[in-house]
Amino acid sequence: MGKSKQSGNHNSDKKKNISKLWKTKRRTKDLDQIHTDMRPDQAAKLLKQDVDFDVTGCAQHYCLHCARYFVDLKSMKEHFKTKLHKKRLKKLRDEPYTQAEAERAAGMGSYIPHKKVEVQTQPVEEDMD
Amino acid sequence: MRIEKCYFCSGPVYPGHGMMFVRNDCKVFRFCKSKCHKLFKKKRNPRKTRWTKAFRKSAGKELTVDNALEFEKRRNIPVKYQRALWNKTVEAMRKVEDIKRKRQARFIINRLKKGKELEKEEAIQEVKKNIHLIKAPHAGKAKELEEKMVQKLQEDVEMDDN
Repeated sequence: MGKSKQSGNHNSDKKKNISKLWKTKRRTKDLDQIHTDMRPDQAAKLLKQDVDFDVTGCAQHYCLHCARYFVDLKSMKEHFKTKLHKKRLKKLRDEPYTQAEAERAAGMGSYIPHKKVEVQTQPVEEDMD
Repeated sequence: MRIEKCYFCSGPVYPGHGMMFVRNDCKVFRFCKSKCHKLFKKKRNPRKTRWTKAFRKSAGKELTVDNALEFEKRRNIPVKYQRALWNKTVEAMRKVEDIKRKRQARFIINRLKKGKELEKEEAIQEVKKNIHLIKAPHAGKAKELEEKMVQKLQEDVEMDDN
C-alpha cells in the first residue's frame, strides 16, 4: 500500500518524535522541489555553495537528492551507499506529482500516465589538496 | 468562486471547506479534508495510495482516455451571462454526465470480464486436477475388478498346485 516499507533505522533520532516531523514548521523538501533542484543550473548552484558556517560542514557537502548537508566528503560517500539514499533515488525516478495531474485524475481532461526520469547519484569530485 | 480539486484525492473542494497550504515557494496546495492534508504532510504519494483518483487512473482501474472527459476544463476566460446560453450549458452538462457515467461503467465491466474468465479457467483446472474427489477412479468398474481378482486367485491356486 502507500505506507513506506522502510525497515531498519530503528534507533534513529529522527524517529523519536515522529509527530514533529509531520508539522509544516520544519518541513523538508518535497520531491517536486528536488526535481527543480536537479535542473543543471540549480544543481550547479547547490553543489558549489559559498562557505556558510551556520550549516553542517560549511555547506560544502550537499546531497542533491536527499537535500542533506554532510560534515565531510567521507560521510557523504558513505551516505551514497545507504538504503536511505537509494530509496530516495528510486522515488525520484517517477515524474513529480502535480495539481494538474490531480485535476486530470478528477476527470478534467484525459489522464496521461506519468513518465520515468533518469536519476543518478551526483558525481563526487576527487580533488585531494 | 470556483470548485477546486483536492491535490491529494482529486475530490471537489467547495468554498469554505477543506484546507489550503501554501508552501514557502508560493506553491498552493488545496485539500478537501484533513485526511488528505495529513497524508500530504506525511509525504505520501497519491499515486500509491489505493483510494485516490490518481491511483485508480494510473493503475488502469478507471476510464482514462475518452472524449467525454474533455468537457470539464479549467476555463480562465469569463463568459457574460446569457439566459439561453446558460440553459443550453446546463442541458449539455447533464448529457455529458450521462454519457460519461455510461462509458465509465462499461469500462469497469469490461475490465472485470477478464477476471471472470480467469476464474472460470482456474475452476476447470481445479476440477480436472481433483476429479478423484468427485468420482472415484474405479467407480463403475466393479465387474472388471472382480474378474481380475478371480483371475488372480485362480493363478495363485495354480501356482500353489504346482
